[in-house]
Amino acid sequence: MTAQRYLEDVSVGEAMPAMVKNASRAQLFLFSAATNNPHRIHYDREYAAVEGHPDVLVHGPLQGAWLSQFVVDWAGPGGRLVAMGWQNRGRAFPESDLTFRGKVTSISGDEVSLQVWEEDAAGTVLMPCTARVRLPRRP
Amino acid sequence: MIGQRLSEPVTGTITSRDAQRFALAAGDRNPLYFDEAAARAAGYRTTLVPPVLLAWSLNPPRPLDDLRADGLYRGEGKRVTLNVKRVMFGGEEWEFLEPVFAGDTITSETRLKSLEEKSGGSGPFVLQMTETTYTNQDGAVVARAVGRSIAR
Repeated sequence: MTAQRYLEDVSVGEAMPAMVKNASRAQLFLFSAATNNPHRIHYDREYAAVEGHPDVLVHGPLQGAWLSQFVVDWAGPGGRLVAMGWQNRGRAFPESDLTFRGKVTSISGDEVSLQVWEEDAAGTVLMPCTARVRLPRRP
Repeated sequence: MIGQRLSEPVTGTITSRDAQRFALAAGDRNPLYFDEAAARAAGYRTTLVPPVLLAWSLNPPRPLDDLRADGLYRGEGKRVTLNVKRVMFGGEEWEFLEPVFAGDTITSETRLKSLEEKSGGSGPFVLQMTETTYTNQDGAVVARAVGRSIAR
């Protein structure tokens, strides 16, 4: 379980500890199954080439799930994700490190705004994201 | 056309199994999705559903005959007919207003928010924005999502 983060401990500009994901092809398959997503670009490499991709692609929604996981874990069990937005900028591939990074951009009342992004092994930003979380105060 | 409902509202119950299957497929072991005691210790009445699962949990089962050559279901999620080669998932903006609990019955309704013709580096495209509202069995709006898709 991730530790609780309290409002008093957070400061603007602070970096969030990075999270690294590396999806196997089996994981992509399981995510397709869990979301009932039959799109062939996620499991059929030959077909992915027809759409111009060198390999199967990591689902946009899986990357979205990872972004929310990154933020929710950072906030801890007493925190609440209240808003989140992301954009698809680049393709993500399996068997390759995808790193999630972020920083605190502002604090207003008990709400903390975060700038978050996913980057590939070359450091290219694949998904920029903004999120707001509500954090508890120290008891 | 703007504001038009893009499909009939869809209602479904999200079980703890649905929540856990989705979380594990994303490599997410958050105890709030798995452990009643942990959820209660955090002030919730039972385990939660990962927030972004809402987008996928309500898809009704579809017959194989509905599959297109690319594997997607025919007419998937859109009633706006655009004469285009490809539709890409462009991103999403979510507002999470209330927690979603395992066992909740959620109704989603999607409306067309905007349709704009744009020109980009690789030619013209249409930016389509839809807004989906998720409401629970008590009538509370639990989330809103604005989705962007790009059609060329």
